[in-house]
Amino acid sequence: MNILLNTCLMIVVALTITGVINRTRAILSGRKGIPFVQHLRDVSVLLRKGSVYSTTTTALFRIAPAVYLAVAIVALLFIPVADLYPLISFEGDVICFAYTLALARLAIILAAMDTGSSFEGMGAAREALYGALIEPALMMGFATIAMFCGYTSFAEIFEFEQSFNLHHTIVMLLTAYLFIQIAFVESGRVPVDDPRTHLELTMIHEVMCLDYSGIDLAMIKIAGWLKTACFAMIAANAIATTCCFHWWFATPVAILLTGIAIGVVESSQARNKLIRNTTFVVTISALATLIFFIGYLLQLNINI
Amino acid sequence: MFYALLTLAFAGVATLLFATPQRYKVWVATFCIGVLSLGAITASVAVLSGLKTSLDATIHSPIFGKEHIAVDALSAIFLLIIAVAAIATVIYSNGYLRQYLDRKSSAHISLHYFSLVLLVASMMGVVVSGGGFSFLLAWELMTIASFVLILFDAQRAEVLRAALTYLVMMHIGFILLVAAFATTFALSGEASFAALSAGALQGKSVLLFLLFLLGFGMKAGIFPLHVWLPEAHPAAPSHVSAIMSGVMIKTGVYGLMRVLWQLSGSEELYTIGMIILIVGIVTGLWGIILATTQNDMKRLLAYSSMENVGIIFIGLGTATLAQAEGATLVATLALCGTLMHTINHSLFKTLLFFGAGNIYSETHTTHIDRLGGVARHMPMTAVLFMVATVAICAMPPLNGFVGEFLIYLGMFDSVRWGVNVIPAAAGLIGLSLIGGFVVLAFSKLYSTVFLGTPRHHHVAESREVDNARIAAMAIPTIAILCIGLMPQFSLVAIERVALEALPAAQPVLEGYITPTLLHISLVALMIIILVALLYTLKQRAQRKREIESGPTWGCGFTAPNGRMQYTGESFAEGVESIATSLTKNTVEGKAVDKSEIFPTKHNYGIRHKDKIDSLFAAWWVELLRQINKRIMSLRTGKINHYILFALLFLVAIFILSLLKII
Repeated sequence: MNILLNTCLMIVVALTITGVINRTRAILSGRKGIPFVQHLRDVSVLLRKGSVYSTTTTALFRIAPAVYLAVAIVALLFIPVADLYPLISFEGDVICFAYTLALARLAIILAAMDTGSSFEGMGAAREALYGALIEPALMMGFATIAMFCGYTSFAEIFEFEQSFNLHHTIVMLLTAYLFIQIAFVESGRVPVDDPRTHLELTMIHEVMCLDYSGIDLAMIKIAGWLKTACFAMIAANAIATTCCFHWWFATPVAILLTGIAIGVVESSQARNKLIRNTTFVVTISALATLIFFIGYLLQLNINI
Repeated sequence: MFYALLTLAFAGVATLLFATPQRYKVWVATFCIGVLSLGAITASVAVLSGLKTSLDATIHSPIFGKEHIAVDALSAIFLLIIAVAAIATVIYSNGYLRQYLDRKSSAHISLHYFSLVLLVASMMGVVVSGGGFSFLLAWELMTIASFVLILFDAQRAEVLRAALTYLVMMHIGFILLVAAFATTFALSGEASFAALSAGALQGKSVLLFLLFLLGFGMKAGIFPLHVWLPEAHPAAPSHVSAIMSGVMIKTGVYGLMRVLWQLSGSEELYTIGMIILIVGIVTGLWGIILATTQNDMKRLLAYSSMENVGIIFIGLGTATLAQAEGATLVATLALCGTLMHTINHSLFKTLLFFGAGNIYSETHTTHIDRLGGVARHMPMTAVLFMVATVAICAMPPLNGFVGEFLIYLGMFDSVRWGVNVIPAAAGLIGLSLIGGFVVLAFSKLYSTVFLGTPRHHHVAESREVDNARIAAMAIPTIAILCIGLMPQFSLVAIERVALEALPAAQPVLEGYITPTLLHISLVALMIIILVALLYTLKQRAQRKREIESGPTWGCGFTAPNGRMQYTGESFAEGVESIATSLTKNTVEGKAVDKSEIFPTKHNYGIRHKDKIDSLFAAWWVELLRQINKRIMSLRTGKINHYILFALLFLVAIFILSLLKII
């Protein structure tokens, strides 16, 4: 029952974050904006459409969206919502989570290169590089919270601290910030990638699925939402442990905080120049290492 | 007596090989290697399943006296690795060498197969020997056998050069090993591994360890001693590269583990652990960043072997550091991860080199920028190569993930229990960076070679290879799938090794790791089932929809060709800014300039060479050339000068003998 509620809440977060992002961007641009559930309508149209397959592609191209969505679903099942229990939980599942997402990335990169097009090659090369550079950030983020809470499983890491502990709060807030930054990179949002550009030369995530249509494209879009929801919920859990550790607090925080943050950044910034993007992603990894050291020093009770 | 019997056996095998007709030599070799492997598997299964605690014998050797030959748990694991790889290699060579049988002489092929049998036998000798003369003999035989094997295609100049580099560097390592064993002998009176834990060596552990590290590290390919790896592997035929990269490198790891096992009671274990960890991180990062820049299939795989040795050393370093601090659970975990990764790497690297061999024998090139779309012509190779790629990127359903997971878990446990936090954090950053770049390097390799459209006409003429080679590739694939989907069974054997290796080790399997491994198999199964489910649902839904075919989206451009695809060089362009500091790039020709609006035909070639290469090759060769040049200036060609030199020499001798110097 607990687990069922957990999974349903994660799906709700996944389906609504994009709506919040779109609405935030519309408000900040002074527009009326598209309806809140427009992204759901778009995907349901895609699910009813046929597909065009390139003659260059092999069976890999046809299986890859299934792999991407399956892996996103399995990754979703690792994440708890505050005090609820996830379906999969074991010692070291943070590592399994990180590598499961890496499998999704590998599948989509290979599928992109399968088309034999220079556009997809561009996206695949860039995505492989940024994925490689963001891995340390993910691992160090998990290491920080594992070090601080003494567990290596998501369900056990996020526990409520009964009394107010300044060190714990600082580390958790910093970790939440880090995971929202990682969400920007993993879900391909400004400033790393622009999901609304129509110039293939400037795309990263969008161009990797350029040749996909119909159900395949719908699967990829849904998987993208699920991945964003995972990171949003990890950040929300980190915040919930500092004040109010209940699922009815964590879910809105996940939707609103990440959604509004992404919406504000997308409205106020342009996408980085691609040469600067590498530096940006490495900065996030460096930030993760810095947060780890802050956590380490705080744990040693050194006054900084 | 023992050595006489050994020599007789080898002489017998050699005679048999040289006597058989050309077509059947491979069956003799298969029989010999089959016998050896069967014996090895029997011995190792007997030891690992607990039927016999260890099998040992004592032999009498020259120089150092009595020595021990024993099969204990660590040797058993390595015997298994060697046996499986040897069987797969010799079956593969059946198909691979078929094209050379009428081009090479009978003696050539016989020598090749004899060296293969000798290599397998000497590798098994290395892991069962207890040290001293028998170990060094087996080590040297391994070097010579692999040297002969690399020289298969010796009419190519680069093969000769690579083989000679290999021979020289291996002998430098050999001298260091002799020095290490001699030091042990001098300090404790016995030149075996067991003597390393003697009390007399207490203060000198770090020195001995460094000697052994340099000696074994030369074989394993650690930084900066790795220079022979990317030269020797492309030069050797593919089955030789497979067994060298998959197994022979691991004998260096075996030696180091054996040394560490003996030194695990030492006080300087922390220093030793830090050295191993730092060496591991540097080796791994150097290897994988250089691998991303390579555009030759086999060089990329060779650098990837170097990176995997780095990962093994990171795990070994974490285990040693934890042992030094007394955190035996972490140490056992990390050691299990290291051993698991050793086994995994031997499996998927063998598979990768077999795949590269298939491609080379069909398209006659290993340059990835001349391939492309090979998956259409060689579907089985493409599928098996994909399994190996997913495994080497350490992705969840397959075995690479399990090994790295255990190493990661060891480091995470280190961090959360406050044991060696900073080294564990460094290891985490290193390992995750390495893991990320592995995905880049291998997606580059796979997609440039197998996917897309062909970049050269040779690809169109390639066909799928014969069944013998596919069967040989199936052996590691089955093992990869078994270990990946059911990790808890393979861990039983590995845990036995770890428990014997570490003093006061805690059994991790029953209490701690079993639920985790069960969950990992569950996750793996879940992924596979979900993929199958989603794919089937999609297929059924698409039956009612309109499915069309068309060319790839070209944004309105109507004449796409194979040259528009990303090449290997362009895929790795993002890493270039990091990689340029590690490589020396030689550029031939001119690239198309931005201001050239209607570009003409350009020829442009770029080669990335390891900077460390010059450390071993160029500087002392250059020094010798300079000295030679100075001395050569005395060679004037005039007889008068030579008579003057002779006179000066006589005067010098006269004065020196007057002064009673000589």
